[in-house]
Amino acid sequence: MNEQRRKILDLLANGKITADEAERLIGALERERSESPQTAAPRPKPRPKYLRVVVNAADGPGADGASRVDVQIPLQLPRAGVRLASLVPPQALARINAGLSRSGVPIDLAELKPQHIEEFIEQLDDVTVDVDDPDGQVRVFCE
Amino acid sequence: MIPQLVTVGRCRPDARRRRLYVPVLPVLLVLSPLLLLAVPVGLVACLVTRVSPVGAVRGTGQLLCALPGTRIEIEQGRTAWLISVR
Repeated sequence: MNEQRRKILDLLANGKITADEAERLIGALERERSESPQTAAPRPKPRPKYLRVVVNAADGPGADGASRVDVQIPLQLPRAGVRLASLVPPQALARINAGLSRSGVPIDLAELKPQHIEEFIEQLDDVTVDVDDPDGQVRVFCE
Repeated sequence: MIPQLVTVGRCRPDARRRRLYVPVLPVLLVLSPLLLLAVPVGLVACLVTRVSPVGAVRGTGQLLCALPGTRIEIEQGRTAWLISVR
């Protein structure tokens, strides 16, 4: 409790001001505090809940119109997916890894752990990817 | 919370719109006899592939519970598809 509020409550307790006056004074104090952001504690940024991928493609030659893809997935979904993927048997993982390596994606899925995806998603909060092209636009962001 | 409602929408080139609302819980209740049959099949599959059945059930449950909020919209010219899970 800050000093000014305590003084108002003391005045109310001593009967020097009425409850209505005390309420008005406390209200004025709170308004003053909200108007001076330098004294107020910064509000925590709300955590993003969704990963959005928006693709807009212009009408190309031979196409029947512009294309638009808008995908919104909850950030819980990749977490759950990685937990499920951790159940994949090692021999299957070895085959998948070999297939990925052949395709030029040398990722070892055995090393992918739920805590890694947690860290990844934590960092993903502030990530925004914008790709602008004359023929289209791609946006990846969290909201 | 598992998904409650799945919406599948389609907009055709002739501007006709169709939306299919699938209430998940009633559909699951209707399909419950089939699901009961699927349980032993899944159990055998888990044993054959040496996957923990408890882990598989937990993982599938987590995946299902994470689905609400998913929304996929695809538009190509005058044709559009929408899949929404709530």
